[in-house]
Amino acid sequence: MNDVVLQVDGVTKRFSGHTAVKHLSMQVPRGGIFGLLGPNGAGKSTTIRMIMNIILPDEGKINVLGSPSSSRALSSRIGYLPEERGLYPKMRVLDQLAFLAEVKGIARSEAKAKAAAWLERLGLGEWKLKKVQDLSKGMQQKVQFISALIHEPELVILDEPFSGLDPVNSQVMREVVIEMARQGRTVVFSTHIMEHAEQMCDRIVIIARGEKIVDGALSDIKRQFGGNHVIVAFTKNADRAMRVFEDKTLVSKVSDRGASAEVTLAPSADSDTLLATLVKEGVGLSRFELSEASLQSIFIEKVGLEAAVAPAKEMSGE
Amino acid sequence: MNKVFAVIRREFIERVRTRAFLIATLLGPLFFIGISVLPALLLRRESVGRRVVIVNTTSGDFGARIEAALAAAKKGTGSEAVAKYKPVRIDAASRGQEVRDSLVHITGLSKQAEGGVDGILIVDESGITTGKLTYLGANVGSPRDMDDLRQVLNPVVITERLRRAGVDPVVAMGAATPLALETRKVSEGQLTNESGGATFALAYGMSFILYIALLLYGTQVMTSVIEEKSNRIMEVLMSSLTPFQLLLGKVVGVGLVSLLQIGIWTTAAKLLRDHQSQIMRAFGASGDAAGFSLPAMSIELLAVFITFFVLGFLLYSAAYAAVGSMCNTVQETQQAQMPIMLFIIFGLMSMFALLNEPNGSLAKALSLVPPLAPFVVPVRYSIAPIPLPSLLLYVATTILGLLAIVWIAARIYRVGILSYGKKASFKDMARWIRAS
Repeated sequence: MNDVVLQVDGVTKRFSGHTAVKHLSMQVPRGGIFGLLGPNGAGKSTTIRMIMNIILPDEGKINVLGSPSSSRALSSRIGYLPEERGLYPKMRVLDQLAFLAEVKGIARSEAKAKAAAWLERLGLGEWKLKKVQDLSKGMQQKVQFISALIHEPELVILDEPFSGLDPVNSQVMREVVIEMARQGRTVVFSTHIMEHAEQMCDRIVIIARGEKIVDGALSDIKRQFGGNHVIVAFTKNADRAMRVFEDKTLVSKVSDRGASAEVTLAPSADSDTLLATLVKEGVGLSRFELSEASLQSIFIEKVGLEAAVAPAKEMSGE
Repeated sequence: MNKVFAVIRREFIERVRTRAFLIATLLGPLFFIGISVLPALLLRRESVGRRVVIVNTTSGDFGARIEAALAAAKKGTGSEAVAKYKPVRIDAASRGQEVRDSLVHITGLSKQAEGGVDGILIVDESGITTGKLTYLGANVGSPRDMDDLRQVLNPVVITERLRRAGVDPVVAMGAATPLALETRKVSEGQLTNESGGATFALAYGMSFILYIALLLYGTQVMTSVIEEKSNRIMEVLMSSLTPFQLLLGKVVGVGLVSLLQIGIWTTAAKLLRDHQSQIMRAFGASGDAAGFSLPAMSIELLAVFITFFVLGFLLYSAAYAAVGSMCNTVQETQQAQMPIMLFIIFGLMSMFALLNEPNGSLAKALSLVPPLAPFVVPVRYSIAPIPLPSLLLYVATTILGLLAIVWIAARIYRVGILSYGKKASFKDMARWIRAS
């Protein structure tokens, strides 16, 4: 099961005036959940559209499911949820889903049965004969989500699947995605919400300004950044703690969260020294915890450093 | 192929299900009933049983003959005939002026008044010599009423003049019968029962059906493309369908809707025509009153018409789809669809040039222009038969043109459907067509 379902090789896409994606290469292995992360405008959607053969790359090659055919020819094996959501507003929900499954190559009767089952599962059973325009935005998004999964594809590509959903619906969808991955399907999704990626992804790629910055298994990436992170929560004298954190021999980076802080230790320092110093300064501590770096902090660090052109090598070389 | 079929079915079912389709389909036959029954109803209401007072100042029996002529004028024929006028004659001798004035004063020429009067006809000696009679009434503004009245009175006045000149009116009137040219169309060496008027109506009808179908449904293809663009559903579709599959499915689906609607309308019109007299009677109008009539259509002509209708519809719809893909809103299409509109209007108008010379060199040249052939060829065929080799040539050139336009349209469409924002210029379009 070590084969590659999606291979992107040195892909570049230019639009009039700017380069959206620069020499991007990545590999998605079969199975599991792959996160394509990046800030707004990083080129995530452009990359996904090129993978879906909706726009063509100016340079480079994309291979999907190990086949020389385009992903459109393979559409029965691929599920796609575009960033720009769209459904026929005047069509009934069930007909709409049946149609979208049919154009993926599923027989009509089967498509209808599957659509009904999915609607039932996501709590939209009563709405199947309603017109799409009568549904709330969240419900429409669920319908579109179903349309990407209804033909049981082996590769699912979701562009910002959880944006605009309330926490309950977002949770329902995430469970569906995780279940898809458990069944041995490969899920690729893009997001800028790091918590989602952190909870779900096995592998991630972070891109910024069209270029790849981080690529690898989430656990490996975390290990690279891990061990030198401390979460500190204060009961009193937080201002003294902040002075301690200013010592560059101890702390390389602080993200202040008010009553607590996430601290990155300097390469030469260890956590015991930091704890001793804080106690000596009389800082009241309610929490002092060694932790892995959160994906959020990795993301901000990587993308932020990239933007500031600061000593990035020092950190990643750890 | 199944994918194209799914698109065709979606386009067809979603359109047929709309309220707009239902209303348009029902309004068509209502319109036919309207144009066939209304004129008859109006005739019955307005110009039957008018009370006309004849104020006669002539001597002799001229006044009596006028009265008899008015009383004899009938609307309709046979047992359903209704008298047009209810004349009353007053011989006023030299007091015509006073009788007229007092009549106007008493009746007020109002129907509401007791013994209401619709009009007063003054019959005097000078009328016979100068040909001028005076009629007073509320309905003098109706050209139709006045024409009817004139037609009744004219022979009476002429007869009187002839009689006074000592000529036998029967001989003179017989000699003065106007010439009526009866036309019968000769088709493929055979005398048909079609008159010249029916041929024109048929040619006009066919062109008009294509024109209406293009305006109603060709533009629907265009708006449907814009709709898919603005709903952003295009991206989902494009991940599973090729632009050509989507274009083909859309054009065929909408085309079938238009065939269905026109089929319903034509069947309704035919049924109405077959049962015209019953329907008329149901509305209380005379069964023989003049209504509309459908000319008979031969099987060959029907085949030619349907062939070119389908080709024309596909050709123009593909062009409309390309225009739709270039634009982002319906407003933007107003300008962009002008070239298409020009061809359609030119096609419709060319019919009038063809009626005189259906097999002239102009007609032959126009038949070879693919966007015009769907209008030109059926009209030509309805007037005079076209030899089979020429007909096949026209079909072939139209199909070639259709393929060329579909090819260009598909290339514009392929790029256009995914480009948002500013409307594409003709320069952009040329670039899209060249792009591989």
